[in-house]
Amino acid sequence: MNEPWSREQLDRLAAEFRYVVTDAICRSGVGHIGGVMSLVEIVITLYFRILNVRPEEPDWPDRDRLILSKGHAGPVVYTALAYKGFFPKSWLCTINRNGTRLPSHMDQILTPGVEITAGSLGQGLSCACGMALAAKRDGRTHRVYCIIGDGESNEGQIWEAALFAAHRRLDNLIAICDYNKMQIDGRTDEVLELEPLADKWRAFGWETFEMDGHDWDDIHATLLRAREVTGRPAMVIAHTVKGKGNRETEGLVDCHNVKIPDEATYRRLMEGLECRFDLPY
Amino acid sequence: MTQPAAANFADMEMRLVYAHTLNELIDRDPNVFCLEADLAKADATIPIVATRHPANFINCGVQEANMIGVAAGLAREGKIPFCSSFTAFATRRCYDQITISVAYANNNVKIVGTSPGITQGPNGGTHMCFQDLAIMRAMPNMHVYSPADAHELRAVLFHMASTRQPTYLQLIRLKVPPLSPEPVAFDPQRARRLHEGGDVTLVATGYMTRFALEAARELAAEGIGVDLLHYPSVKPFDAESLVASARRTGAVVTVENQSILGGLGGAVCEILSERHPVPVRRLGVPDRFGEVADQDYLFEKHGFGPRHIVLACRELARRAP
Repeated sequence: MNEPWSREQLDRLAAEFRYVVTDAICRSGVGHIGGVMSLVEIVITLYFRILNVRPEEPDWPDRDRLILSKGHAGPVVYTALAYKGFFPKSWLCTINRNGTRLPSHMDQILTPGVEITAGSLGQGLSCACGMALAAKRDGRTHRVYCIIGDGESNEGQIWEAALFAAHRRLDNLIAICDYNKMQIDGRTDEVLELEPLADKWRAFGWETFEMDGHDWDDIHATLLRAREVTGRPAMVIAHTVKGKGNRETEGLVDCHNVKIPDEATYRRLMEGLECRFDLPY
Repeated sequence: MTQPAAANFADMEMRLVYAHTLNELIDRDPNVFCLEADLAKADATIPIVATRHPANFINCGVQEANMIGVAAGLAREGKIPFCSSFTAFATRRCYDQITISVAYANNNVKIVGTSPGITQGPNGGTHMCFQDLAIMRAMPNMHVYSPADAHELRAVLFHMASTRQPTYLQLIRLKVPPLSPEPVAFDPQRARRLHEGGDVTLVATGYMTRFALEAARELAAEGIGVDLLHYPSVKPFDAESLVASARRTGAVVTVENQSILGGLGGAVCEILSERHPVPVRRLGVPDRFGEVADQDYLFEKHGFGPRHIVLACRELARRAP
């Protein structure tokens, strides 16, 4: 079960996550550091304070489900799954390497605890709708959480799913948009404007919240409120910072997919982090 | 709505067979779901499934991509979703969704493409899809079936509901004459030999099989023996029956209600070129789009109607050693 956490413990866990996941991505030579770092506080809050899951029984029927529709942020979820005990932390150093069970994008066949394969953007939210619908039909009371990206919200399928979930009154579905306001080719307002984003979700019939995606109390309180919504799905727009927590990446558009070609780049990225930790592998 | 007696299925439109059989499958297993994308009335699942099993009937609206994703999510939770739309929209419209959310993830989703090829008739080129067998067969993990009559459709549907694998089914919505008077078993690993002969091998699937059978009978009357292999499963593909037949006859004609690129004819050529090269003639639609037209017009225009099957078999039978 989820235990009470002090702010200091959470801060330290987030710093450790950032350190380990950056190291693991660097070892593979390339990875989606930006969108991983923007989700650290949200993913920790979900796995350690919100989700009802059993690491020793990944397919427990009454577990809460988390679908990472922006599948390229897989490494942050892998870190949470490893620290939660779904698989050994030593697996983390295999991220993106030959023969790994932790590929760059989420894979439900390879990784214990991963609910849905995702990576081709726009698809995970539809799958989450199907899982929420199945729970309704089976009379189960667990929740289905789905993290989407802001760049991903360019996809028409996101808005198909938005219509569908509202029409079906999927109040067991809670979506979270990682709104770091950047996508591969630039700022979201340069590439394809999403604003007014909250108004769009409200107009689509979703109970819509906004939160600071790096503030522990705000994340926790907002996700608890979202869980209590009845009669309609909930959207939580998380205002986040891409590449958060690393001086070398924070707030930089070009941190979406970072190449680490040499030792010097690796050192620079690791030194950009706040604290150092022992690596679990 | 009363369930028809099994004996009556051969006399019904195939869409009615589909809808009534889905009802039977849901009766047996409440995990079976019927998903539609606003063509439920065309498929007759409104009213047939929607009234009898409303909790298992989900009309997604005109959003095929989302329908595939919803189906993948249902399948992840142990449900057995059958999703249908016209072949064009059930396959090429949402090809990446099927590739990733269904096939790559190996989610147990059943995709039903209706009104294949020229049976789209009046809807014309925008709706007339000639490539679904080719593109679905090119997808790892995907199983591809194209039954030819009501008996076979029912056997295929029962098989689909009882196996845990991504599957694509080509569903003719029309009434078609039965190939046999009695129900048949379906084995995806086996072709069905519908006519025996030693002069030329004729390979058919789906809608074209009945025309192939007529051609084989006509040729028998003039002394040409046609070995007719019908493939209700295009993938997996029974290569052994094909190679054995080609060894005996020395020539192969294929016919399909599809493009000649990459579908049944493509599968036959891939196998024969590696295992037993013989002359092959592929009948079907050449590298062209569809158009608003009736069956006879399209058969004549593209050269794959009953008389073209007869001509091709006659010619290849003569050339065979």
